[in-house]
Formats: sequence, structure tokens, C-alpha cells
Amino acid sequence: MDGPKFTAILHRALLLGGVWVVLTGGEAKGLALGAAAVPVALWMSLRLLPASAPLRLWRLAGHLPRFLAGSLRGGIDVTRRALAPRLRLAPGWVEVPLDLPPGGRAAMGGELSLMPGTLAAGSRQDRLLVHVLDTDAGFERTIRDAAAAITAMTDGAPR
Amino acid sequence: MADVATVVLTGIGLFFFLAGTAGLMRFPDTFSRLHALTKADNLGLGFIALGVAFQAATWREVALLALIWALALLAAGTVSQLVARAALGEEETR
Repeated sequence: MDGPKFTAILHRALLLGGVWVVLTGGEAKGLALGAAAVPVALWMSLRLLPASAPLRLWRLAGHLPRFLAGSLRGGIDVTRRALAPRLRLAPGWVEVPLDLPPGGRAAMGGELSLMPGTLAAGSRQDRLLVHVLDTDAGFERTIRDAAAAITAMTDGAPR
Repeated sequence: MADVATVVLTGIGLFFFLAGTAGLMRFPDTFSRLHALTKADNLGLGFIALGVAFQAATWREVALLALIWALALLAAGTVSQLVARAALGEEETR
């Protein structure tokens, strides 16, 4: 097994193990069960999405503040629209060409659905279909930023 | 002091849930409704978890609350894409 793939698998094992420790509170009995549960979970995760290259964790961490700020803006924007006496919506569609590894597209769609005014609705060929809540508000810019951030995180993964 | 933070933050969280529900009822189509549901409810749960975290006795309880929020976030992002994709397919076959 080559290096990057091994690192990717190690990351997943640490993540799943960490979740198990939080869930069980680190008691001996719980940890013994985890010694069986965590490898099974790891096996399932590798079957669903084979490991290719590890995420750039520092880039993931660096993106976190922007993600939180974006999802805060997204929630506030939709709240203002939902509670406004008169609805101000101009829904429309945008198609974005995407070049992301497996899993990256789902992550991208998940992120977009929390950013202001955008919602991923699957893809057609190599293009992501994005629903935009207000075509006059310039939400499309968010899409480019999110794509750049996720590309940076999955840098080096085979497409 | 911790109680004040809990009341204020969970209050904000409830407000976002209320707004998400208002959007769900008022927005004109499935896609726009999904916007309201995912974005507002994400903040609603986030603020409620943050508020409850002020009552936590141990770091593990804080980690559990963060885990709940992270998993709900992941589920919301995934499910909204699936619902949107299904709704789009329905529209095109009609």
C-alpha cells in the first residue's frame, strides 16, 4: 500500500475512533466494544468511498472559519427572506463545471446547501446543478469560492 | 451567568427554527423551501447546542453536543441534495 492511501485510511480510523471515544466516554467496556466496532465502521467507509489521497487537514481547518461565517450569513439571509412581509425571491438555476474526486462533489453540494442562497441538486454529466434563491443577489460567487476550497483540500486526489 | 447564556442562545436557536418553518410554509416551490429548511435549521440547532453547552459539566458533554450538531449538519447537507435531485427528476418527467 502506498503512502498517501495509507495516510487517508489512518485519518478515517482516527476520526471514527475519536467519535467512539466521545460516544462511550472512554470507559474500558466501551473501548473493548469499540475495538470491534471501529474496524467494521472503517471497512464500511472504505467500501462506500475507497480511500485515494488524504485531505489536507490544515486547509480543512483553515476553511472552517469561512465555512462557519458563510453558514451564519446563509441562515440569516434565508431568515430575513422567510419573515419579510413581502417575499423577495427570484429563484433560478446555475450550472457549474466541476472537476472533483469522488466524495468531493458530495462535500461541495453539502457545503453549498448551507452557504447563502445556493442549493445543490445533483449533477448532469460533469456539471453541478445549483439552485439559486435570488438570481439578483450575486450568490453565484460563493460557488466558485467553495469549489476552490474543496479542490485545495483534496489536492492530488485522482479524478 | 451560564444560565443567561443558555437562555439567550437557545432563544436565538428557537427563533431560527421558527424562521425555517415560516420559510417552509411560505416559499413557493420545493427547492426554495429546502433553502429555508437546511440553512435556518442548521443555525437553529447550532445555537441550541451552543446554549446547552453552557450547562455541560464535562468536556465530553461539550464534545457530544458538537458531534450531534456535526452529524445533523452532514445529514441536512446530504438529504437536501437528495430531495432536490428527486424533485428535479419529477419536474423533468412531468
